[in-house]
Amino acid sequence: MTWTDTLEFLRGPLFRIAFLVFIAGLAYRLIRVVTLGWPKDKVLSAGSKAKGVATTYVKAIGIFPFIPWVKKTFNGNAVTFLAGGMFHVGLISVILLGTAHMLAWKSLLGFGWPTLSLPIIDWLAAATIAAMVALLVNRLTHPVVRKLSGPAEFLNWTLVFLPMVTGYMMTHHMFFRYETLFSLHMLTVDVMLIWIPFSRLSHFVFYFFSRTIHGAQFGKRAVTP
Amino acid sequence: MGEESIYEHLTKQGVSRRDFLTYCGVIAGGLGLNHLAPVGASGLPARLAEVPTPDLTAMVSRALQTKPRLPVIWLEFQDCAGCTEALTRSQSPTLVDLVLNKISIDYHETLFAAAGFQAEQNRDAVMEQYNGQYVLVVEGSIPVADGGIYCTVGGRTAVDIVEQAAAGAAAIIATGNCAAYGGIPKAKPNPTGAKGLTEIITDKPVVNIPGCPAIPESFTGTLAHFLIFGELPELDDLGRPKAFYGTTIHDRCLRRPFYEAGKFAKSFDDEGARHGWCLYKLGCKGPTTYNACATIKWDGGLSFPIQSGHPCLGCSQPDFWDGGGFYQGQSAPLDRPGVTMVGTAAVVGAAAGAGFAVANRSAKKRLETIEVAPGEESS
Repeated sequence: MTWTDTLEFLRGPLFRIAFLVFIAGLAYRLIRVVTLGWPKDKVLSAGSKAKGVATTYVKAIGIFPFIPWVKKTFNGNAVTFLAGGMFHVGLISVILLGTAHMLAWKSLLGFGWPTLSLPIIDWLAAATIAAMVALLVNRLTHPVVRKLSGPAEFLNWTLVFLPMVTGYMMTHHMFFRYETLFSLHMLTVDVMLIWIPFSRLSHFVFYFFSRTIHGAQFGKRAVTP
Repeated sequence: MGEESIYEHLTKQGVSRRDFLTYCGVIAGGLGLNHLAPVGASGLPARLAEVPTPDLTAMVSRALQTKPRLPVIWLEFQDCAGCTEALTRSQSPTLVDLVLNKISIDYHETLFAAAGFQAEQNRDAVMEQYNGQYVLVVEGSIPVADGGIYCTVGGRTAVDIVEQAAAGAAAIIATGNCAAYGGIPKAKPNPTGAKGLTEIITDKPVVNIPGCPAIPESFTGTLAHFLIFGELPELDDLGRPKAFYGTTIHDRCLRRPFYEAGKFAKSFDDEGARHGWCLYKLGCKGPTTYNACATIKWDGGLSFPIQSGHPCLGCSQPDFWDGGGFYQGQSAPLDRPGVTMVGTAAVVGAAAGAGFAVANRSAKKRLETIEVAPGEESS
């Protein structure tokens, strides 16, 4: 079996399986989360839950990222905020605004969009990888974060780190032939796709659930929440 | 025929000594022999790299003056004769012209004048006379389904003919993607059970010169290599000579700087296309395609598909016909799951989720009824 065959398998049947597991898994998790139900109001609330939800999103996305020093997260462990922020911005840019990735989306969704030029994506990818390394070091050295980290956290880190590194190596034709690097990239992506729904990597969906619930709770003005 | 040397044969054909030496230079150049570094890198015999002041043209000339001419038997099966067309229509006088018209070809179904049983007899005669010396060239895939009945020549199946011809061959070359990897006849659903030559001939080394068609210079260069050194060139893991298939189209592409700069043509007649920008978004398979199109080019070095504005189809790679749409980005998955399949996956996942939720809820209710047993106060 040559690398060309391997790549064909990883881009074809395995990707298909991984993608379907990803969809089925997310649907499963979504139903599980939704059927947990909305907390019942036991007393009358003078506040507005909708307003609470709106406020929390404005704060989380529009205000605090730009004045992080007022938050305890930043003052307690700045690496988490800075490297974490860089990682998320870089990852989302690379996945959505890289030309090769957009073409993959286009083939799945049927429409495309403008992308950033390769040098920009390249620097973003490098910064994202550097941020991930910083986050790992932080996780290993910071006493509190170290205590909060179990095997799942390190597995999550690894399964996101590998597609990033193989993708970077692939665009730079580093060390191996292109098909080999492409195969490694697809393999790690396929594994990550399968892993996402069953891990905290699914927070790209469920973050919005938890923030909405918390925002609604914060919006209440009542004796007991 | 007989044991006359190639040089003697050429002289008889009216080739002057000056022309002969020019040919030798062309061959040395075509094989990349005029620099020693590629010679070492391509894994050619070490003695070549050790020549103190190598005059490679002279070396080629010596070989051609002393060696007997090389008989070639060219078989065609499930093909379009495109590789033959490419060879015969390449610029003249060239290496191609030398090999094709003046040195070799003894049996070629498209080119020779003979027909019917006489042609078959001629082939058998050549095979007998030069047993163990001739080069077998195969163009087109070989069908094996239903006993190989989908391709027969003179009442014999392709498998039968090629096995017989391969037995007495000194070297075997599969030209074009069909002969090398099955090509278009092997495309899904492959009704004839088409196979590449390496799947049929397993006991002898086969050199693959894939492409659709194969680049004439790659073919003749390989033939010349065998002629001069008496051995086959070093091959990559897909059986292709490294000298011609060592780098990707992308690596040597003239549009590569636009790829690096993120400048892409988005349709065939937009601003980008007119400026000659990268064709990656139009489905170019250059990054995974190993061939010499971007360097040797076509029509005597005039142009090649990407230069003239069309993305690379990846025709020197196995199963390129099924490797995703020609105009679909390389990074796209090979087949996208249909709406029904994605829907089914979502429904299965959701049903599982709902099942667990219902089970959990009823368990919780049971727990509550046990907790709020008669006579006790609810919390």
